[in-house]
Amino acid sequence: MKEIIQKIIEKLNEPGITFADVRYTSSDYQSIFFEKGHLKYLSTEKNDEGIGIRVLMNGCWGFAGTTLINETEIDKMIKMAISNALQGSLFRHQKVIYMPIKPTTGSYHFNPVENPFLMSEEEKIHYFENLAKLLTHNDKIVYSYINCDFFKQYKIYANTEGTFTDSTIYDVMPKMYVLASDGLKNYSRTWPGDMNARRGGFEKVRDFKFEENSERVIKEAIDLLSAPSIEEERADIIIGGGHLALQIHESVGHATEADRMFGMEISYAGKTFVKQPMLKKFRYGSEIVTIYSDSTLENGLGYHLVDDEGVPGRRVDIIKNGILNDMQTAREIAPLLELEPSSNMKASYANDFPLVRMTNLCLEPGKGSLQELIKETEKGYFIDFTKTWSIDDNRNNFQFTTEIGYKIVEGKIVGIVKEPTYFGITPEFWASCDKICGIEEWEMYGTFHCGKGEPGQVMHLSHGASPARFRNVVCNVKA
Amino acid sequence: MAISSLEELKKSIHSIIGCYPELKMSIHLRQWQTDFLRFFKSQTNYNISKNTIYADVQLYKDKKNYSFTVNNPSVELIRDRIVEALKVIDKLPPDPDFVDLETNLAKGIEVVKENQIKIISLDMKIEILKSFKAKIEPLGFDLYGTFICNNEINYLMNSNGLDKKWEMSPYYFEIKAVSNKTEVTVLESFGGDTVELDTSFSDINCNEIVQTFKNKVSDFAQKCKLAQNEVIDVDSGDYEVILAPRCIGELMQYYVWSNLKVSSVDREETDLIGKEGLKVFPESFSLYDSPQHRNVVKTEYGSEGHLIGELPIFEKGVFQNFLVNFYYGKKLGYEINGNQGNCLVMQTGEAKLAAMIKSVKKGLYISSFHYMNFINERETSLTGLTRDGTFLIEDGQITKVVNNLRFTEKITDILNNITDIEDKSTVYPMSDNYGSFSISAYSMPHIKVKEFNISSSTKTV
Repeated sequence: MKEIIQKIIEKLNEPGITFADVRYTSSDYQSIFFEKGHLKYLSTEKNDEGIGIRVLMNGCWGFAGTTLINETEIDKMIKMAISNALQGSLFRHQKVIYMPIKPTTGSYHFNPVENPFLMSEEEKIHYFENLAKLLTHNDKIVYSYINCDFFKQYKIYANTEGTFTDSTIYDVMPKMYVLASDGLKNYSRTWPGDMNARRGGFEKVRDFKFEENSERVIKEAIDLLSAPSIEEERADIIIGGGHLALQIHESVGHATEADRMFGMEISYAGKTFVKQPMLKKFRYGSEIVTIYSDSTLENGLGYHLVDDEGVPGRRVDIIKNGILNDMQTAREIAPLLELEPSSNMKASYANDFPLVRMTNLCLEPGKGSLQELIKETEKGYFIDFTKTWSIDDNRNNFQFTTEIGYKIVEGKIVGIVKEPTYFGITPEFWASCDKICGIEEWEMYGTFHCGKGEPGQVMHLSHGASPARFRNVVCNVKA
Repeated sequence: MAISSLEELKKSIHSIIGCYPELKMSIHLRQWQTDFLRFFKSQTNYNISKNTIYADVQLYKDKKNYSFTVNNPSVELIRDRIVEALKVIDKLPPDPDFVDLETNLAKGIEVVKENQIKIISLDMKIEILKSFKAKIEPLGFDLYGTFICNNEINYLMNSNGLDKKWEMSPYYFEIKAVSNKTEVTVLESFGGDTVELDTSFSDINCNEIVQTFKNKVSDFAQKCKLAQNEVIDVDSGDYEVILAPRCIGELMQYYVWSNLKVSSVDREETDLIGKEGLKVFPESFSLYDSPQHRNVVKTEYGSEGHLIGELPIFEKGVFQNFLVNFYYGKKLGYEINGNQGNCLVMQTGEAKLAAMIKSVKKGLYISSFHYMNFINERETSLTGLTRDGTFLIEDGQITKVVNNLRFTEKITDILNNITDIEDKSTVYPMSDNYGSFSISAYSMPHIKVKEFNISSSTKTV
């Protein structure tokens, strides 16, 4: 395949083409789903191949992608990408400016400890079947599932500047869910929550300790049936790392994607309240808040040698000591902001067009354990396990609901509350962060499901976070 | 892969299914192509073309189930994967709820769709966009959006003799005018199978297609003028609102997903269990899944191949039917209709939109919703935001632009609070933006709703 890619690049090395790149991906996918204790499906996709050809001509992008890998189809795609660029340029007044960068060559092949694609189906099914059965023994649990997705992708990236890399990655994403009902009301609990993807193999599934946590989620789901709601208008909240990862994702991650600043995502994903003059000045959060994008972290799903336009992986401090410091950018956008490209251009598969995407966007840890933080909180709630997320077009007004909250009085957890729902305005909320737990509580979370772009792409990415406390948050929103 | 070879592959698949009498097998062969123009700041962002062919194969041996997808399929690849599956399937635990694969062999009228990708060329798209640009740029607005044409061919076969083919070739043109000064946005979308009611693109020439869209420019510019008004914020609280067709369409889509599919009965996530025949909403509210309705993207079959027709979901406020697929229908003992809720049509009322607006002393006109998500599915409680044009109505007139607002509501409360329904429907194209970009269309009127709960402001437009 490398030779085929090299030949395509040679064909694209023509005077009229300012820049071109070619990506090839071959993806394996497996999904296991047990519902109410029974295997509903085991589905697989093997060697799902694709090629994508992107060309920059007359200051305009043209792209063509296909899953049909043969010479005729590839030649057709080259012509189509060129034609798309040339025709598109007839309706383009600001030409794309693309500064050359030094080429990168290299390979990266991740090796999981337990390769899920080499394990027997029996072993995996047996493992999940045992867990699925554990969720079905209580009459108040009316519905349950456990599922797991396994993913492997081999990728070649090459461009007309001489960059040529190939890589292999493995990701997993398991989850259990129970729904308790008293006939009138339903409440759910999950484990380990919604940011449940990890870079690795089956060893990462075992790390979640599903069996040890199954009784806990069942009990908590049932207890929620008789639990109160939060009554206070405002309260101090400690957000657990899993849900905080989503908070970072929605209110910092998407807000600092620079393509949104230039309106390139208005048609679907939206804009951002972050404007160019805010760079290096705007107080995004309290002084203890530093959030960085780092595609060199190998334990994150956003690791890469180069992004999907040849920019080597790197760390960029997006928010530094509370100030907006940088943005997630593309090569065509970074110079407009007088920034260096941040290595955030990614596409889900080869036949997708690359977009500005989060890679590993992490909150720098503070100090101390979660227990210590709870102990020093006089009154408030520890909340975790995402249930609902919603944020506006500009990433300014968000409202999240978690499955459960733990009420804190005088430094101790004294009970639970159901579906705590809090609302905030992004910079005000991050300014209210007064404590972040230390490295001992810091974990890399992840998801397969970050949607963006048209036609839609879902991206694998990670967020590193430890629990953090936010003061005086609006938290009793009800329908 | 050329269409003829797709046909040939389909024929070979029949023989593959016949080779395994011990299995229940379903194979869905699909070719999906798209030509996709994305534009921003009144210029091209990028143009892409994609071509994908795959086969989804589902196998049951007794009650044991294994499924796989083959991309760029050939007979050899599918056979190889079946051989692999057979080595695994005996070792899997059974699904006691499985009864059979779809048995409905009835066929609809096979319609060969004109390929919109070929009909609406990139040149034509650009010419249409230029005409919009010329009209709205002097008003201080830029254009953002997408102009997409899809073309897909589907074959679905199973070991019960099911053998269905359907084609779809809808387009989707969503255009937003964004004020350079305030970022206030005006939204318009066109889409479906045809450009106008009963007028197929294939029946008119290129110039006429372009002209048809150009005829929409003036209306769009009128909306832009409205968006030049002062931008204000409003307090949280209950408002009388007029929801545009797109809003009610999205709410109905969420209601279908959460509470109206029979799988929600299996999850015990719907309060409608056992309420068939009972009045649950005001008499003015009727909702249908109407796959042959002239305004929607017509669909002959459900996802398992069931021939589908118009399904009353609510009629005069009375709950009539869940959407019942084969698997859960058999499991739960419901009559199977195969409907999926992709072609929702709400019954119109008697009010003129102008009169509806005139009747509001102080309220809001909401053009579009954004980022809705359920808080509790069974309660139908959800939160979301307004987007792309929220306006203040004062003394029966639209007077100002309002910042985008957050609402926290129950769908059932919204439906119970409907006080008026428009006398005509608008087609609202929708896209499933995950995976392949599939396009459907709903037909919805404006509705007036009392006590709509605005829970906060975004302070931005």
